[in-house]
Amino acid sequence: MIRNVAVVGYKQTVHTAASEVSRERMVYELVKSFYQEMGITKDDIDTFVMCTNDFQEGRTISEVYMVPRIGAYMKDETKVDSDGINAVFYGLMRILSGNYETALIVGYGMGGSEFPGPMIFNHMLDPIYERQLGLVNEISAAALQANAYMRKYRLTELHLAKIAAKNVRNASRNPYAVRRIDGISADDVLSSRLLYSPLRELHMYPPTDGACVLMLASEEKARQLTDTPVWILGAANCQETYYLGERDLTLPVSLKLAAKQAYKMAKIRKPSEQIDLAELHTNFASQEPIFAEALGLYPRGSGGSVIEKGESEVTGKIPLNPSGGPLGANPFTACGIIRIAEACAQLRGEAGANQVKDARIAVAHGYVGICAQHNTVFVLGTSPVS
Amino acid sequence: MRMRHVGIISVGYNGRFVSKRKDVNIPEMIQAAVENALAKTNLTLEDIDAFVEGNMPTFEGINYPNLWLSDHIGAVNKPLMRISTGGTTGMSAFHCAYYHVASGLYDTVMAIGWEKHDEGDAQVGLGGIVLPELFTMFSFGPAMSGPGAGGTLTGGGSTGGASFQAMSYLAKCGGDVEHIDMIAAQARSNAAKNPYAHLQMPGCTKEDIAKTPMVSYPLRYGHTCPTSCGACAMILTTDRKAKKYSDHVAWVKAVAAGTSDATTGNLVEGQITDPAEQLIATQVAKKAYAMAGIEDPKKEIQVAEVYDGFAHQELMWPERLLLVDEGKAPEMLERGALAIDGDMPINPSGGVVSTNAIGASAMVRVAEAALQVMGLAEGGHQVPRKVRNALAHGWGGLFQFVTVTIVGDTKRKG
Repeated sequence: MIRNVAVVGYKQTVHTAASEVSRERMVYELVKSFYQEMGITKDDIDTFVMCTNDFQEGRTISEVYMVPRIGAYMKDETKVDSDGINAVFYGLMRILSGNYETALIVGYGMGGSEFPGPMIFNHMLDPIYERQLGLVNEISAAALQANAYMRKYRLTELHLAKIAAKNVRNASRNPYAVRRIDGISADDVLSSRLLYSPLRELHMYPPTDGACVLMLASEEKARQLTDTPVWILGAANCQETYYLGERDLTLPVSLKLAAKQAYKMAKIRKPSEQIDLAELHTNFASQEPIFAEALGLYPRGSGGSVIEKGESEVTGKIPLNPSGGPLGANPFTACGIIRIAEACAQLRGEAGANQVKDARIAVAHGYVGICAQHNTVFVLGTSPVS
Repeated sequence: MRMRHVGIISVGYNGRFVSKRKDVNIPEMIQAAVENALAKTNLTLEDIDAFVEGNMPTFEGINYPNLWLSDHIGAVNKPLMRISTGGTTGMSAFHCAYYHVASGLYDTVMAIGWEKHDEGDAQVGLGGIVLPELFTMFSFGPAMSGPGAGGTLTGGGSTGGASFQAMSYLAKCGGDVEHIDMIAAQARSNAAKNPYAHLQMPGCTKEDIAKTPMVSYPLRYGHTCPTSCGACAMILTTDRKAKKYSDHVAWVKAVAAGTSDATTGNLVEGQITDPAEQLIATQVAKKAYAMAGIEDPKKEIQVAEVYDGFAHQELMWPERLLLVDEGKAPEMLERGALAIDGDMPINPSGGVVSTNAIGASAMVRVAEAALQVMGLAEGGHQVPRKVRNALAHGWGGLFQFVTVTIVGDTKRKG
C-alpha cells in the first residue's frame, strides 16, 4: 500500500432484538457518543462512507434520512450497497488515494424489529428462475453447504452443535451481543427448532437491531488521534459465480483469492502460524470451518478435530469469533464492520472476558450473497507493514 | 501527497436507450455495454482488475444485483464493489472506480451503471423514499412525522418536488415558463444528434413543447425525463497504461461529492427550505475546481453535462455550478450561448431530460464529458471548439446529493 492507514476508533451499539428507538435515533446516538469519546467533531471527518440497503430498510435510497444523523450534512459522503466491510474497504481506498486523511464508516441493521433476514435475502435470487422456483433461499442454501462439508469431511451434527455452542458461549461474555445464553451446551443447540436439516435455530444468526461506527485515518492523523492505532496490513475482496451448482461450497474460491491478495499485501506467508485470531462473518455455524479453511488458518477438512480439541476457543491455537460472531449479533450492514471492530478490540487488549492473549495480527472477514458469493478480507495488526 | 493520475480510456453503451427492451434481460443488456467498452480498446476481460457496479435496486426488485450479474459482466473471481446512491449512483460508482485506481490497489477498473425501467415502476420506486413517512403521518399526525413529511405532500415520485423547485428557480432568475419550453426544445433537438439518446426530436421548437399537457405547474410533460432502459460501462486506468491501451484518453482532473439534508424543499420547523438554492452544488463545484486547478470555470470549462431530470434544471445547475452568472441562464439561452456551438454548451447529448436510465444517468454525464474531451461524440453533438476541460454533474437523493467530475485533455498538475 502506498501509505499506512489505521483504524483509530470504533463503537457499536448494545444490540437488541427490538430497538426501543427508531433506526435514525439509534445511529444518531451511537455516532454522537463516538465523537464525544474520540474528542472530535464532524469537521474532523474528511469523508463519510455509509453502508445501507434499500431492501433491509424498505425504502428507496435508504440513506436519505440517515446522512444528517451521522454528521454528513454539507459534507463529502457516499454509500456502498453491500456488507459494511466493503464500506470500510472503500474508506481505505479513499484515504490511500491521498485525497482524504480521515473517513467515518457507518452501518446498521433492523432485522429484529423490521424485515427478517431471509425475507430480504430472497430478493438476492435471480428473478427469472431461482426466485420463482422457491427452493433456494438463504437458509436452504446454507443447509446444502453444511451438508456438503459434513459429508465430505465427516463432520457430525454434534460437531456442528458444538461449534454453535462455542460461538454463543463467547457471545454470552460479550456485552454487545443480543443472543446470550449462559451455560449453553451442544444439547441446547440440538434441541432448538429445526430450520432446514441440519441447520437449527441456534446455528443461525439471531434477528438483531444494531449499528456500528468505525473511523479510519492516515498514519499522520492516526498518531494524533490515538495512542493505539490498529493498522490495516492488507485488504481484498472477490466475487465468484452466482450459480450454486458451479461452486465448491466447501471452499469458496472468492474467499481463497481475497485472502491470498490480502496476505500478500500484509506479507503473511504462513497464515496458520502468523495469525492470532479471526473474526468471521459466519451467518451459520456450519460456515466457520469452511471460512477458516479457505483463509488458510486450519487444514482442509479439520472442522471436527478443531472443535473437539478446542483449538478455535478463545484460549485455543487460533481463536475463531472470540466475540461470538454473527451468532451473537448480526445487524446486517453493520456485521462486517463489527468483525473489524471486534478484531481491533482484541489487538488493543479491550476485549474483556473474551480477550485473546498476545494478539498481534488478526483477520476480519465479511460476505454477501447466497453461500458467501462475495467475500472481503482484512488483515489487521498492532504495527504497520515494514 | 502526490495523487496517482487516472485516465478514462473507454466508454461503452449497450445501444440506444429506449423505453422497453423486451428482447433482452438485465444481464444481456449490461453485457452489451461491457463488450462495447472493451471493443473500443485492445483490452480483454482478463485485463480488468476490478469492477464497480451500480443501479437503484428497488426499481427492478433485485437486491444486490451484482451477485446475479457477476457471470454475465465478466466479474467472476474478480473484486467487485457495489454502489447505490439514488440519482447520483452512476457517478458515485465512477468515483469509486476512480478511487480503485488512485489508491494504487488496482490498475484497470471497469465501472458499470445501468437501469432497466421496463422491469419495474420508477415512480413507485421513488415513492418508496417518502412512503415510510406517510405511515408515521397517519400514526402521529403531520406535526410528529418529522423530516420527510413534506415529501408526502408532493405525492411521492419526483415531479411534485421538482415543480416547487422550478417555481422557486423562475422567481429567483426572473425567467418564464417559456424559458423551460425553450431549454426542453434544445435538449430534444440535441438528443436527435446523439445516436444513443432516447427522446430524439430533430428541430423540436418551444411551441412543440408548449403543446404538451401540464403535469404539475410549471412543469409540462415535455419538460420531464423519460424512463429509459440502458447501461453504460467505462474503463479507467493509470497514466502508465492509458496510452498503451487506447488512442484516446480523458484525464480525470477532479472528483467531488457532497450531501445536503433530505428536508430540502420540505416543511421543517414551520419553514420551507428552498429547493432551488442548492448550496451543496456550489460547494462541491468549488471543491472540484480547486482539485482540478481551475480558477475561472466560465473560461476554462468548454462544455458541461448536468443532471437535468427536469428541463428547468438545465438552466439552474449551470448557475449553481458557477458556469454561468447567477440568474443569467435564461438570457444566455435566448442568445444561443447554451447551444452546442455556444459559449457554454450545456448537455450537447440531450441530457437526462431526454434519456434517463437512472442508475446509468450520472455515469453517462461523465461518459459524455469524456467523449467530448476525446473528440469522439458521435452524430453531430461534438462541441465544435477544442474541449480542454469538461464538467459532469450528478444529482440525487431527496434533492440532496451532488457529485461533480472534471475531465480534461491533460493530466492534473501536481
